Amino acid sequence: MPQLTGIRRILPTLQKYQGLVGLVLLLLVALFDTPHTDAKDALFHSVFFSVGNLRNVLDQLAVPGCLAIGATFVILVGGIDLSAGSALGLLNCVCATWLVHGASTPWTICYVLFIGTVIGAILGAIIGFTKLQPFVVTLAGMVSLRGIAFVYTNNANISGLKGQIAFFESPWLGIPVAGWTLLATTAIGSVVLAKTVFGRRVYAIGGNSEAARYAGVPVDRVRTGAFAVNGFCIALAAILFTARNTNGQPSAGLGYELDAITAAVVGGTALVGGYGNVIGTFVGALFIVCLNVLIILDGVSYYVGQGWKGVIILLAVYLQNFGRRV
Amino acid sequence: MRLGLWTCAAFAALTIVGCGSGDKGGDAGATPSSTTADKTGGTASGSLPLVVFSQANSADPWRQQFDAETKAAAEANNKAFKFEEQAAEDDPNKQISQIDTLMLESPKVLLVSPAEVSVGTAIEKAYDKGVGVVLLDRGIPGDKYTVHIGGDNVDIGKQAAEYIVKRLNGKGIVLMIQGKGGADATNDRRNGAMDVFKKNPGITVIAGDDCKYQRQAAQSYMETFLQGGKPFDAVYAHNDEMAIGAYQAYEHAATKPKNKPIFVGVDGCQQEVVQMIKDGKLDATFRYPDPGPKGIEVAADILKGNKPKDKKIVLPTEIVTKENADKYLADHPGLAK
Repeated sequence: MPQLTGIRRILPTLQKYQGLVGLVLLLLVALFDTPHTDAKDALFHSVFFSVGNLRNVLDQLAVPGCLAIGATFVILVGGIDLSAGSALGLLNCVCATWLVHGASTPWTICYVLFIGTVIGAILGAIIGFTKLQPFVVTLAGMVSLRGIAFVYTNNANISGLKGQIAFFESPWLGIPVAGWTLLATTAIGSVVLAKTVFGRRVYAIGGNSEAARYAGVPVDRVRTGAFAVNGFCIALAAILFTARNTNGQPSAGLGYELDAITAAVVGGTALVGGYGNVIGTFVGALFIVCLNVLIILDGVSYYVGQGWKGVIILLAVYLQNFGRRV
Repeated sequence: MRLGLWTCAAFAALTIVGCGSGDKGGDAGATPSSTTADKTGGTASGSLPLVVFSQANSADPWRQQFDAETKAAAEANNKAFKFEEQAAEDDPNKQISQIDTLMLESPKVLLVSPAEVSVGTAIEKAYDKGVGVVLLDRGIPGDKYTVHIGGDNVDIGKQAAEYIVKRLNGKGIVLMIQGKGGADATNDRRNGAMDVFKKNPGITVIAGDDCKYQRQAAQSYMETFLQGGKPFDAVYAHNDEMAIGAYQAYEHAATKPKNKPIFVGVDGCQQEVVQMIKDGKLDATFRYPDPGPKGIEVAADILKGNKPKDKKIVLPTEIVTKENADKYLADHPGLAK
């Protein structure tokens, strides 16, 4: 079957950029299907392609995007992180508490990033030490960190921020600083994965951790490193979250770990590990945010939108496995 | 063949979002001002002002009734404005995103029931753009909104306590089953009632657990409480769901107080509760008024150029007892099932 060989050649390419294919399709839909505007700064007279919406999308993308990039590292080493949402809630409270109590902005940011990285590293080390499933360890982390967030704040929200980190929300060259932060994180993450020894080891462990061990890769240390990177990304997301919500809530980020995993999966990262990249994840997250925005602009009910989103995710994963079977 | 499947799947995703335009076309078609329904859906809707509603969540019965009555009121006004609603699962971050996105459609009025005060940042941005902002139920700090419509939980707590005191002739033990800790509604419903109870020296109050406004939690708590065998004469639950839970535990308990205690709830938004009052299982509930219909009325006024004079509109409560249960049902056809 000569046709099939042709498809075989196309499939890996399609697969690698599957998030992008979805995104392009989505943008096409948006072109024909969003409310019109007469504003000059909108392409094709569509609200969706307006400068306002570009800002809006990047604003919304920053937090889930950072989380998803962290999740990509963890998934690449064959793990999963269910504690990301709880960690975000805790770090959101830590960040808000420090700022409200008058700590300087740079120190607060450094401290939150440090704590986040440590939390991630501890989870990674526990997995290495106990040889338990990452699912179980991070599930425990999810429960504990949420509890700690409530204890830390005495079960109350922390308010009274005076705009110390509001600069994340203000635009620079037309894009909010939070958006730039995400773009920078994506770029750095991408370089780390593609060009460093650590990055290659991450893929090696995810592909086959036994083989990697025999090849002399320090599996536990690299895994801990990947979880630490994830913790750093969560902390970054928590800071952006604090900037956006201007307070600390112990209940913040409920269920965000699943959004992060979804973005990674839609972006072509395989849940078994060893396959995927950060740019794919970025596109996956962008796809989901654009879908959310489009659903609202089209006046589709939130719950109807949720229902369809599940179908899209299922399709994305199916297509991924489908290619590998051919 | 297989690539065909792939593209099929992709186009399935395409049509998903496409179905949104179908809805929109339908809406536009319903209005007499639009001549062509489908393709010009966007421009046709431009001829009618847009009112958007951002709901904190649509999960509990009170919110369901709130949603249903708001939609019905908007439907009745569909010649005056177009109406869109989004719900945010009580996640303020999600609600901020939804409001920001809805603002791109240049609505004239934003109805919003904030999940949390932090949603204020998005609400203030909308207000600064000149959009009329109508806060429903929960408020935000500051004054960057047009009007706030809500019930008065302190007054409800007071009236509920007065009812209980009257029924007990000023003497007895009241078990108070509490709603979610820290929530304004819980504090107000408790403090309003406690003010009255404290003025009656014959009344002793047992502060029950935080049952998070959930029926199941209240039922478990009440089962444990009844096991203890402590006497009590009345149950005041901070919402109806917990009153129902407490009653169910009482109904199935092996050891019960000699006389049936009085069960009083708050909200009055479910047919089930009214039915239980009719059956004599529960004694009374106090309606926590749903601000939706009033919000739509105010939105329509704002569109006509009449801004409400007061920044705060307080909706009165109503008591529901066996005597007026039937009338209450007839007055409020939108009650949750």
